[in-house]
Amino acid sequence: MIQTIHIGRLLRETVASPYRNLVTRPTGAAIRGRIQEALAQSDCALALLDFSGIELLDLSCADEVVAKLLLADAERGGRCVVLRGLREDQHEAIEHVLTHHHLAIAVVAPGTDDEGPWLLGWVTADARAAFACICRRGALTADALAAALEWSGARVEEALGALALHRLVRTDGDLYLPLSLA
Amino acid sequence: MTRVIEVPATFDDRSFEQFAAGFGHWPPEERVLLDARGAQWASPYGLLAMLTAGQALAEARQERPLFTVPTSDDVKRYWARAGFFKFAAELFELHGKVPRSAASGPSDVLLDVTPVRATEDVHEVVEKISQGASRILHGELGLEMKATLRFSMALSEACQNIVEHAGTSGWVAVQAYTFRRRLGRRVVVIAVSDAGIGFRRSLESAHAKRFGERWGDGAALEAALIQGVSRFRDPGRGQGLAFIKRFLDQWKGKISIRSGTARLALVPPWDEDVPLSEHLPFFPGAQVQIIIPAQDPEAG
Repeated sequence: MIQTIHIGRLLRETVASPYRNLVTRPTGAAIRGRIQEALAQSDCALALLDFSGIELLDLSCADEVVAKLLLADAERGGRCVVLRGLREDQHEAIEHVLTHHHLAIAVVAPGTDDEGPWLLGWVTADARAAFACICRRGALTADALAAALEWSGARVEEALGALALHRLVRTDGDLYLPLSLA
Repeated sequence: MTRVIEVPATFDDRSFEQFAAGFGHWPPEERVLLDARGAQWASPYGLLAMLTAGQALAEARQERPLFTVPTSDDVKRYWARAGFFKFAAELFELHGKVPRSAASGPSDVLLDVTPVRATEDVHEVVEKISQGASRILHGELGLEMKATLRFSMALSEACQNIVEHAGTSGWVAVQAYTFRRRLGRRVVVIAVSDAGIGFRRSLESAHAKRFGERWGDGAALEAALIQGVSRFRDPGRGQGLAFIKRFLDQWKGKISIRSGTARLALVPPWDEDVPLSEHLPFFPGAQVQIIIPAQDPEAG
């Protein structure tokens, strides 16, 4: 099950004004608190944070909303988080803060959920390739992924370990599953 | 006794040192008079420097300073349009006739002199700037459209530094004008100034030890701007200036920060500024200037 959280709506409710700009640390921290509250009340496996109502996202807010949400892994109940509706400059801000913290997150464009997500942040080239392969082919075992990418077992294990650590794939027994938004 | 401090005829980041030197020991014992009668022009940096001095004197519980307004009607009108006199009247005993209201119509003033006291003010600044930034940055300076949002981000981060680090309020102003002598092109200038504790005191408890005897205003500026350190233990801090530096590098822009007795600048190829100046006359708080030049059409 997927829970969609509209950041623009949270912003309007939090700062009680018509602003569409997500700026300043206190605002970002308040928004993150609202997201964590929503996640605590939900039993969804995946949370989709929709930024499509946001005009400007500054670095402080990117850090407070996205990076700190990922850092507080326990408080999101181990859920996978995917971002949607980001503009190019917002990608940049999020990429910058996630790289700083050695974190990564999956992103989809609005209306293109079926194209599958891509990754923003601190991810090795191998982990990116493994992520793309799983998104393209669906659930795979490590052996199947190694065969598909023509990699050694150790190389695949390392890439999958990084993806699992950042909750960029789901696991079910031996299988690694893509973050399905369908 | 009154200490008369002449406002430089052309008041920008360069002539600022002459202005700062006029105060002598801080805070000056005598009542201060800022004499702006001969002023011909002031950059946003210059306008904010005067307000910051007034604010710092008030916070040091000094006698309310005097201010003689420029003789030139054009200069007075321009300063009024930039919102300077509105706040100067709160901080100084003004002498001379001041235009009653700001002129209307299109202006190179992208953001009036605006106080930054709290987080809400940063929201207001970002809202205000978004209306005119695209016209100037894209239309006049030839920057790509997405530069407008990066510019707003830089402005937001610079203003937040006041709220989070200064320990008091500050000011911001943004203006477009032509840099005739230094560059021969249009520029947008962001000036941010506060009368607070400055970079050295803000960073001292967390970082002074590491620098040993080198610790001072200059080392504190290096730590913040070059090394990206923050007084907060939160590992996410200190990224704002790093982000601003990255954009400025791409746009061949310039940032300079003055705090206490030092000034540090990241100098682009078109400028001949000194990267680090130390042992300057003391001035309270921190003064930041960001310059973004029109892109050279032949460069690329």
